[in-house]
This record gives sequence, C-alpha cells and structure tokens, in this order.
Amino acid sequence: MIELTGLKKSFGPKAITKDLSLTINDGELLAVIGRSGEGKSVLLKQIIGLITPDAGTVIINGIDVTKLTVREKANVFKTCGYVFQFAALLDSLNVLENVGISMFEAGFSVDKVRPKVLEKITSVGLSEDVLDKYPDELSGGMKKRVGLARTLMQSPHILLYDEPTTGLDPITVRLIHELIKKTHDECHATSLVISHDIEIFKYATTVAMLHEGKIVYKGPASTIWECENPYVYQFIRGLPQGPIEQIGFK
Amino acid sequence: MVIKAIDYMGAKLIDGCHALGRVALFTYQAVVIFFTHKINIRRVLYQMHYIGVSSVGIVFLVGITVGAVLALQSHTGLARFGSTQFIGPIVWISMVREFGPILTAIMVIGRAGSAMTAELGSMRITEQIDALQTLCVDPMNYLVVPRVIASTFIIPFLSMLCSWFGIGAGYITSVYILDINSEVYLEAIRANVELSDVTNGLVKALVFGFLFSVICTYKGFFTSGGAKGVGISTTQSVVYSNVTIFVADYILTSLMFT
Repeated sequence: MIELTGLKKSFGPKAITKDLSLTINDGELLAVIGRSGEGKSVLLKQIIGLITPDAGTVIINGIDVTKLTVREKANVFKTCGYVFQFAALLDSLNVLENVGISMFEAGFSVDKVRPKVLEKITSVGLSEDVLDKYPDELSGGMKKRVGLARTLMQSPHILLYDEPTTGLDPITVRLIHELIKKTHDECHATSLVISHDIEIFKYATTVAMLHEGKIVYKGPASTIWECENPYVYQFIRGLPQGPIEQIGFK
Repeated sequence: MVIKAIDYMGAKLIDGCHALGRVALFTYQAVVIFFTHKINIRRVLYQMHYIGVSSVGIVFLVGITVGAVLALQSHTGLARFGSTQFIGPIVWISMVREFGPILTAIMVIGRAGSAMTAELGSMRITEQIDALQTLCVDPMNYLVVPRVIASTFIIPFLSMLCSWFGIGAGYITSVYILDINSEVYLEAIRANVELSDVTNGLVKALVFGFLFSVICTYKGFFTSGGAKGVGISTTQSVVYSNVTIFVADYILTSLMFT
C-alpha cells in the first residue's frame, strides 16, 4: 500500500504539491489525471524518492520514503519500478545493455544477462532483433516498451508510469495500455499511471484527479463518465468552461 | 541604492558559498566512491581513450607551435646579451614546468571537458540519470568517477607529450633555423635542468586533471533548464575550469618552484 499524507513541494516561490493526501491500495491500477503543469510527474518522483518533499510523508509498505538516506532508497527502487515519460534509455548503450544494466553492474556476464533480458523483452512484445539496437534506432513505442522491460528486470511490486502514451499514435497507445494492464495483472502489482489519455479509464481500476497541487477526486474508473465532480466532468470532456482555468489562456 | 548593492553582493556571496559547498560535497562523494567501491576499469579505459588518445593530435599541434615560438622569442631576447646557448634550458624548463601542463589542460577542457558537461547535462534533462538511480545503479560511480579518474591520470601523460613535442620543436627551430650548435644546445640543457622540474610539472598536470574533471562533471550532473541549461552549464564548466586551473597553477608554482 502507498500512503501519501500532507505532501508539500515548492520550487522557488511556486508551490507544486499542496498538502496532498492519497492512498493507493494493493493491487490497484490507479490513473492520475490532471492538466499539464499540475505536478503529476513531481508527485510520482516524490513517491519513489527521486524528489524529497518539503513536508508530509510517503509510506510504502510501512516505510516512510521521505526519511530514507540515498543508500536506503535503493531498497525502495528494488520494489518500485518507474517507467519514464520518454523511456530515459541510455543513448550510449544498446537495448541489451540498457535492459540488463543493473545485472551487468552487479557483475553478471552476458551469458547470464541475455536470457533474462530476452524474457522481459519478449514479455513486452518485442523480438530478439532489438537487443543489438541503440535507442536512436527505435520508434517511440518501442522505446517505451524497452523502458518497461528494463523496469520489469527488477521484478517490482509497484509500478509507476509517467505519461507512458505521450506522443504515440492511437494504435500504439492501445497496445501500451494493454501492456500496462497485462503487466499489472501478471506481476500482481500496484500500478499508478499518469496519463492525459482518457482511454486509460478502460484499463484502470480507479481514477484520481490532481488539481492545483491537491487530489480533488478519487473514484472507480468504471463509473468515471457518470462522475459529477465538476473538475472531472470538465476535464474528461475537454470543456473550456468550468472550474479548471486554462493556464496561459484568457 | 547602497543598501540594494550590499544586499545584491551579499546574496551573490551566499550563493557562491552554497555552490562551493555543493562542489566540495560532490568531490568528497567521488573520492569516497574511488576508495570504497569497485571501479569499472573498462569504463575508465574508455574515458582515458576518449580524453587522452583522442587529444594527442591537438596536444601535438599546440606543443610544437609553442615550443617553436618559445625558441624564436628566447633567441630574440638572449641574442642581445650574447647568451643564445640558454635557449635550450629556457624552452625545456618553460615547457616542462609551465606550458606543458597548462596548455594540455586548456586544450582538454575545451575538447573533452565541455563534452563531459554536455553529455551529463543531456542525460540529466532526459532523465537518464534519474533512471540509473531507479535501477539501483549509482550515477556517481557509473558516470562521474570514471571520468574523474581518467582525466586525473591521463593529463600527466598528455602533458609530458606536449612538453616533448615542444622541446623537440624548440630544438629543431634552434638548430636548423636559428643556426645554434646542437652540442651547445644539448649541453646547456644537461647542465641546467633538474628532475624536480619534470616531477613537479607532472604533479601540476595531475591536479589540473582532477580539478577540471570535477568541475565539468559537477556542472553536467546538476544541469537543469532544458537545452538552454545544457548550453549554460557547458559554457560555465569551461570558464570555471580554466579560471580554476590558472589559480591552481599560481598556488602550485609558488609552493613547488619558489
């Protein structure tokens, strides 16, 4: 279980997260929606410990991540996988080296790493051919899959996805969503997906809406279209009028 | 007006102190990792090749031109006193003590130091450094330490090459262009040169290599602000590295040669 309580984070004078509280139960596939620039990625990074909040607690399986030292956070990273928005593959490494990087760093030989990498690569729907390719030779969708395969190498129980479908075509978006759902089910994971794509509601169990640094709604994904919360209503229908003001527009 | 100026200077001073503290902490972490963690030798050798072997060409060019110019300039000055036999020691001492280490460092900062900052900066803004952390790979050990080790230990070799190229060019210029007797030239070197000139020059190069690599990796590692931020960090790393090695050069020279 992930429990966020009273989370606050500011960058200079700008408050990004304002007294945010949220509970994500085991086995939940939570979709977090909200406008661009609301601090969704910052929220995800606070959960995993890449950004330390100014105040509040992040409890993952009973451990407060905000109190951990850099070394102790390694244990969090072993249980929490993070799939980055643009995959964040290392440009200088090929797919085999990218996906197997933690095993290579632990001193395993290619003979040991390659079968494990191949297993993960296959599980995300890619073939063996990609192993020798470099990130700049892969399409956007392939990069995201490789990024997910790399995360799965850690066998995480918690999966955090930062806008996994941004910039992809509708077919690839669907395939990525199906992959998220499949991974979630097979790993018996707790998943948190940040997305602007309303198609995610078909796959998520719950939806939370972030607005002005706070969670203004959390409820089941199956009934999201009947939701009368004014923020959710406006956001998922893309209405210009409503309580959500457009940033940079008048 | 005066209060505002004091306020501004105070703020800048505090920022400077913070930055110095962060660099010191970063350096400390790199040194601790060097002594306590297993270092990937392959990565260090790769960096040595990139920083060192790929810089030999430019070091050669700088070395021979500076050596030749030194010989020509020394000849102009010494001819007035009838002491042209001292061109050899002047070229030798200048190259080994001063120009070899400092010119090598300047060239490598421009070629490899800026690339270090740009590469690490790009990795930071594209979240590759965050990704390493989430994969339980220590980014300091993976990215910073190999670059610092490689720079620290390869610069003395490059400096030595630069000095040799310069001394060689000085010899050729003196003997074949300025028509100075080869035996006189070499004898003057033998009589006036000490081993400490060479070792102290190498110590300088070692310190320069360490300093610029720490500055360049630090600026890259903590880059923010997108592509513009990478540009700013890269420029700053080159400027700060050059200024730092000039200051270090003065301190080391006053400690070792006076």
